[in-house]
This record gives sequence, C-alpha cells and structure tokens, in this order.
Amino acid sequence: MAELIKIDNVTKDFPLPIRGKKLRAVDKLSLAIESNTVYGLLGPNGSGKSTTIKLLLGLLKPTEGRCLINGESVADPSIRKNIGYLPEAPYYYRFLSGTELLVYFARLQGIQKRDAKALAGNLLERVGLEDAGGNRLGTYSKGMLQRIGLAQALIGEPDLLILDEPLAGVDPIGAAEIGALIRDLKAQGKTILLCSHLLSQVEALCDKVAIMQSGKLLAEGSLDQLLVSDEDKSLLIKNLDTESRERIVKTAISMGGQVSVNRISLETLFQRLVARNKRSNSVSRANEEGENE
Amino acid sequence: MKWSFRRTLLIAFNTFREAVRMKLFLVILILALGAFASSFLFKEFNFGSSELKFIADFGFGGMTLFGSVLAIIVSAQLFIGEIEHRTALTVLAKPLFRSEYLLGKFFGSWLMVACFVGMLSLCLAIAIWVRETSILQANPEAFQGAEPIEILQVIAFGIIQILRLGMLCALVALFSSYASSTVFAMSMGFLVWVASQLQYIATDAWSGGSHWLLKILFAFASLALPNFHLFEVGDRIALGETLSAVVYLKLATYALLYTAFYLSISIVTFNRREF
Ligand SMILES: Nc1ncnc2c1ncn2[C@@H]1O[C@H](COP(=O)(O)OP(=O)(O)OP(=O)(O)O)[C@@H](O)[C@H]1O
Ligand SMILES: [Mg+2]
Repeated sequence: MAELIKIDNVTKDFPLPIRGKKLRAVDKLSLAIESNTVYGLLGPNGSGKSTTIKLLLGLLKPTEGRCLINGESVADPSIRKNIGYLPEAPYYYRFLSGTELLVYFARLQGIQKRDAKALAGNLLERVGLEDAGGNRLGTYSKGMLQRIGLAQALIGEPDLLILDEPLAGVDPIGAAEIGALIRDLKAQGKTILLCSHLLSQVEALCDKVAIMQSGKLLAEGSLDQLLVSDEDKSLLIKNLDTESRERIVKTAISMGGQVSVNRISLETLFQRLVARNKRSNSVSRANEEGENE
Repeated sequence: MKWSFRRTLLIAFNTFREAVRMKLFLVILILALGAFASSFLFKEFNFGSSELKFIADFGFGGMTLFGSVLAIIVSAQLFIGEIEHRTALTVLAKPLFRSEYLLGKFFGSWLMVACFVGMLSLCLAIAIWVRETSILQANPEAFQGAEPIEILQVIAFGIIQILRLGMLCALVALFSSYASSTVFAMSMGFLVWVASQLQYIATDAWSGGSHWLLKILFAFASLALPNFHLFEVGDRIALGETLSAVVYLKLATYALLYTAFYLSISIVTFNRREF
C-alpha cells in the first residue's frame, strides 16, 4: 500500500509569554500513514494531536522536520484539494444556514452553484441534518455543529479525511452513525486520520493507532499488534464446547498456568502506556532534581 | 493551482452577506440618518445658502465620522473575529491561497462600507436638492452672492470618502493579519484613524527644522500613514466651490496607492501567520 501521509521527524515549538521559553507541543514525531486505512491518533489532553493535524494542513509550520502528503509538501495549497478537514470544536458563521454554509464551501472548491445546492442537500442527509438545513448555524447544538462540520469535510469527495475529534459532543446513536459513515468511507477507498478520546469507538473503527504524550510517540501500530497482551504470553482458544474448555482450563491451571481473556482493550493499553510514561517521566525528573542537589 | 479572483469574490460576498445579517450597519445607518434628519429641525436659520451649507457640512461630517467607525468595526469583526472563533481554520484548510482569503475579507468589508457611504451620499444629495429647489421657489434671489451646492459634487465627495475608507479598511486588515484579538485590531484601527487625521502635523514637523531623530520619526509617520486631512474637501463643496476632476483623480490615486501598499504588507504577514 502506498504511503499517503509522511511526518518526518517533526518538532513544533510554541513561544511562551516568558521570554526565551518555549513549549514543545510536538517532539521529533515520525509517522507514516498508508492509504485506505483508518488511523487513530490518541493521547491525553494537550499531547499535541491537534497540533500534529494543523501541521499536516499547513496551518502551522514545523519548527523542524517536514510533513508530506502524497510525497508533496503541505505548504502548497493545491494539496488540500484532496483533503477534508474537521477542526476540533468547530464553529461556523452564525448567520448562515446549514445549507448556505455547505453551498459556500462547495463553491469555494470550484463546484458550480446549481450542483453545490444539490450536493448540500445530499450531504445534510448523509450526516442526519436533513431537517435542520434551513436553520441558522447560530442555533445549532454542539453535536449538530459537529455533524455539519463533517458534512463540510466531505465536500468534493476528498481521498483523505482529517477529523479532529469527530465524535465529540455527538450522542451515542449519532456516534454509531458517524462510525458507520467512516467505515463506509474506508470501503470507498478513502483514508481517514482521526483523533478521539472515545477509545472503545476508536478500537472498533481504526486499523492502526498512534498513542502520543507530551508531543512524543509512545506506541504505534495496528491494533492486532498493539493489543496482544505482552505481559503474559497467552493463547486464544475458540470453538470449543463447554466441557472441553473446562478440561483445558483445568489442565492449564494444574500445570501452573493462568487463564484470562486474551486481548486487552485499547482502553487498558492507553492507560497503561500513559501511566508508565508519566512514571518514567517523574522518575527521570526526580533523578534530575537529585543530581541538582 | 492558480490564484483565483473568483474565490476572492466568493469570500468577499460571503463576508458582505455576514455583515448585512449582523445588522451592524443598520444601527449606524439609523444613527446617521437620525443625526441627519435632526439637522432639519434647526429652523432658526435664515432661509438661504447658510441653511444648505449647514446641511452639507453636517452630512459630510456624519459620513466621514460614521463611515470611519463602521469601517474599523466591520473590518475588524469580520476578519479577526472569524480567526478568533476558529472559523478561519476550516476555510484556510480549503484549497485556496491565504492572499485570496485576506483580499476577500478586505473587499467584503469595503463593499459594506461603500454601500453605507453610498446610501448616505444619496440621501444627502436628495436633501440638498429638495431644499435648494424649495428655497429658490420661495425666493429666487436667495443665492445672490453665494454659489448653490452642486449635487454632482456631493456624489463625488461620497466616492472620495469610499476610497479614503478603503485605506482605513486596509489598515485594519493589516493589523488583523497578525493581531490575535478583535479588540486589539479595533483599538489600533481607531488609533491609526486619529493619527491619520492629524498626519499633516507630522509632515509639517518633518519639513520644519528640528532634531534629526525627530525628523526621521516624523518622516516615518508621515510616509507610513495617509493624510486624511487631504480628503476633507467637504468645506469647499459646501461653499459651492466646484472641484475639478483633476483634484478628485489625484485623491483617488493617492488612496488606491496607500490601500495597495497596506494590502501587500498584510498579505506578507498573513502568509506567515500560524493558526
Ligand atoms: N497556538 C498555540 N500557542 C501556544 N501553545 C499552543 C498552541 N496550540 C497548542 N498549544 C499547546 O500545545 C500543546 C498541545 O496542544 P494540542 O491542541 O495539540 O493538544 P491535543 O492533543 O489536541 O489535546 P486535546 O485532546 O485537549 O484536544 C498544549 O500544551 C497547548 O497548550
Ligand atoms: Mg485537540
């Protein structure tokens, strides 16, 4: 599979109000995302997910390193013809209606007025807003804004969708619908990069994930690779009737083995990694302080 | 991908539509028309040229004042307000050049201001024409010794004001291209407006002899800022003077050059901006 996104040793520093101090939001991050995957970018608040996404869209410029999409620099705006972007907590022109917003964005992307109107109706239906298209965006709820943001990202059928927390503020049924939409997009051959805190949804949706903290990559890979419990070499046993299963369990226990569920959840992995990283950070900080004394 | 004027226009019209729906200009228009109508209430004038002069002065003054306020508020609100609300993130992630976005915002706000000033000039021209004819009907000798006000000059004044306000919109766009809050951009806009109104003082100080450091400072101030004083031709029109086309052409060129200058700098800063 072709490599669609390449983040090559990227660092992003933000200046802090204190002179000379900097905040490192992304720290020597390298990622490669293949086309036609659903890729999840995970991490606690402030770990640099949105910053990474903005770097990919050319909204921020990397302090070091470079970002490539399809082998081309993201500084060139024509790259973005093929990208749909949903920012986190989107907010749009309060005085426009949902339909007007979509028509405006479609026309900005070179679609003719008449086609734009048809497309807007179509997209509203796809995100479940067909009844709200005529209402002003100022009256939209949080989840509705999220949906219209998603609709807007789908204009022009881009091959790459970059969704910053697409499920935030959406109700469970809506989240399931959006999940189905994302799977549908993947089936159409699209690539989806998303950030989310809803780990069970991510687990169900993503082929690959990267977990970040403090701008650094903690782990990356396919869910199958990552979620094999590495601490105890375990087996998955399937298709046995209750009796045989019990016999195997007994044998295993009699031989000193332990029986548990094979795969850990993404939630567990996430918490484990973040906690471990925090611990090692505080250990190294304590060491530094020890050295300073 | 080529730079597209079509996209610029789309952004401009969307900006304009937003401004119209914000109904901001409506408030100012009502204010201005109210002030304007109240000038009719002063009836203790002698009928004659002085009443017309009063209406014209009042109208020109209102146009300049309210137009400037509207230019600053509208351009700051529509441009930096959009960045503050992070709407700009979505737009700038679309396949377009940042310069298209900036120019679209500028043209949209300027169009809004132009409509406002255009409406005021039209009202003023009609008011003056109505009074002029009725005064002449009542007393054909009323204008003896004084020139009547030419309606065409009133319209020309409006156009010149629109161009002057273009410079102000471009200045606010310049501040918005790097500022991070609407309040800052607006305050800078008002500051620069006042400074431009007083710019001729700096020019005088520059040409007059003083310390070299001050001279450089004043030279900078008088070149970087336009001289809004030049555009105050209302007094002369109110006295019935007919300004030649050359005067207007010179003013228009001056305004357009400064506008282009500010917009170029804004585009450079905006291209470097991070979101
Ligand atoms: N424009 C900016 N100026 C200064 N600091 C910034 C800026 N944008 C982000 N940061 C900082 O960079 C860090 C990473 O922020 P980022 O928004 O990428 O986090 P995130 O992983 O998306 O978090 P969340 O899950 O809360 O959305 C944070 O510490 C944030 O304060
Ligand atoms: Mg974020």
